Amino acid sequence: MSGVVANARVGDLAFPWAADHLEPAVSAGNPIRERAYALQFLSCVGNVARVLTGPAAGAEGRVVGKHAFVLIDFPQDALDELAPGDRLLVRAVGQGLRLLDFPDVAPRSCSPALLAGLGVAADGGRLRVGVAAEIPAFMMGAGLGMSSEWANCDVMFTRKEVVERLGFGGLKLGDVVAMHDQDHRFGRGFRRGFTAFGVVAHGGYGGVPGHGIGVTTIFSGPADRFELVRDPDANLKRSLQLA
Amino acid sequence: MSAINAHELVRASLVGEVTSPVLGSSPYDVDRDGRPFVPVGAGGVCYSVKVGSPAAGWVADQVEPGVSIANPVDAANDALLLYACVGNAVTVRTGAAAGARGVVTGKHEAFQLYKHVLVHLDDDALERAAPGDQLVVHAYGRGMRVDGLPDVTCHSLGPELWEEWNPEPRDGVLRVRVTRVLPPEVVGMGSGRASGVTSVALQADASDELADLRIGDVVAIREWDATYVTGYHEDRVLVAVVGTGDSPVLGNGAAATILLSGPAAVFDFALDRGANLAEMLSLS
Repeated sequence: MSGVVANARVGDLAFPWAADHLEPAVSAGNPIRERAYALQFLSCVGNVARVLTGPAAGAEGRVVGKHAFVLIDFPQDALDELAPGDRLLVRAVGQGLRLLDFPDVAPRSCSPALLAGLGVAADGGRLRVGVAAEIPAFMMGAGLGMSSEWANCDVMFTRKEVVERLGFGGLKLGDVVAMHDQDHRFGRGFRRGFTAFGVVAHGGYGGVPGHGIGVTTIFSGPADRFELVRDPDANLKRSLQLA
Repeated sequence: MSAINAHELVRASLVGEVTSPVLGSSPYDVDRDGRPFVPVGAGGVCYSVKVGSPAAGWVADQVEPGVSIANPVDAANDALLLYACVGNAVTVRTGAAAGARGVVTGKHEAFQLYKHVLVHLDDDALERAAPGDQLVVHAYGRGMRVDGLPDVTCHSLGPELWEEWNPEPRDGVLRVRVTRVLPPEVVGMGSGRASGVTSVALQADASDELADLRIGDVVAIREWDATYVTGYHEDRVLVAVVGTGDSPVLGNGAAATILLSGPAAVFDFALDRGANLAEMLSLS
C-alpha cells in the first residue's frame, strides 16, 4: 500500500503478487484530513490527473480506483520517475452524475469519461454492461457498511484455493466486475434484487482473513435494470485507453 | 465445568465507565434508501430495549440494551474489550447504583468511532445508573479451551455462560444449542477484524431466518472463520451472540459477539429458539 509501484498496473493479473492490498501505480493522498476526504470523495474513476512537481512534472494519468488513497495510473516512463512527495493534481468530475433514462441506477465515483469508455448501452429499458467477472455476495468483505464513495469493498480472496475453486485466477487489476445481491447506492451492503458494479482497484492475496482484493463501486441499481455481458477484456485499460 | 480448562483461567478486574452517546455535527446518517435518520441507540443507558427484546422494530441504529461501558484510556479500553467475556459478572462501583451487580452481554465496535462492552443491569440499577459511573468487569474466560477439541477456538465466551449454555463435547464433536444457522452472506461490517474484541453485523436482507431475531440470540454462521481474524472460509463456522438491535444502514445490522469458531466438522448444531442469553442467564 501507498507510494509508487512501478511494475504492477491496471491490466496486470490481480493475484500473483507477494503483496497485500497491492495498489497499482501511484497512491495519492493529502496530509490534511479534510482535504484528504475531499480528494477521496470527489475523485472519480477515469478522472485526469497531472504531475505538478518532480522529474515527472507534466505527465498525465488517470484515476483507476480508490482505497484509503486515490489510485492513479501513469504511463510507464512517468511511473519510473515518480516518487513519494511529488504533487499531483486531480481534475475531479463525476459525483452527482445521473443517467437520465435510468433514474434508479446510481453512479458513484464514476466519471463521464468512464461511462463513455465502458460502452454501456441502453436496450429495452436495460443497461447492457460488459463485465469480466461476477462476484457472489458471500465473498464480499471489509468495506460493507461504509459509504459508497469511500475506498472500495474487499472481496475475500485471501487463499489460493478459494480463487481457484471459484475460477477467479485470471482476474486483472482494473477489471470491470458485477457484484450480485449488492446495493451500493447509499452505502454498501447485501440487498436481494440489486446489483453493484465496480473496478478491481487493489490486488494480491494478502494474508488477513476478511480482506482481499478491493473493488471500487462505479454504479448500482435494481438487478432487472441490467443485462450482463461477459467480456474478458472489460477492463479500465481499454475503457480509459491507458498507455 | 470439566469440559473446559477453568482451572487455568485468570480472573481479572477491569474498569469501564458508562458511556455517553456521541454524534457528529450533523444529526443525520443515511439509511439504505438514501433517507436521513437520527442514529439513536448506541452509548449510555437504554431503558426500553433489553436482552431478549426483538432486534428489529426500533427507531434506532444498533441500539445497545442496558448500559454501554468503555474505558476512557484507549489502551485500557482495548484490554477491557479483549478480557471481558459474555456471561462475566459486573459490579457497579460508583454512582447511585453502586453495589448493583450485572452481567456482560456483548461487545459492539463501530469502525473508528467506539468500542463498547454491553452490560445488563436489573431495572432498579438501570434507573439509577448514569454516564460516567464506573463498573468493574470481573473478566474471566480469555484463553478458554475445550478438553479434547483443540480445533475449537473460544473467543468472548465466559465460563459462566458455558455452564448455562452447556455445549456438549462428545466423540470429537461439540454439540451446541443455537437459535438458527445462517448463510455466509449474512455478515456485513465486521469482516477482517480481530475476533476477540469485535462484533460482526448481521445483514437482515441476507436471510429470512433473521425476521424474528432477538437480542441475546445465539446464532451460527456457516463458512466463516474467526480463529484470529474474521473472514470467509469454506470449511469453518463461527458461533456468536446478538448484542445489539438492527440497523437501517446498508451493510450493517444487529451486531453479534463471537463466542466460538472452528472447523465445521467439529460442530453439531442443535436448533433451539431458547438459546438466548435472557433465558440462559435468567436476565430480567
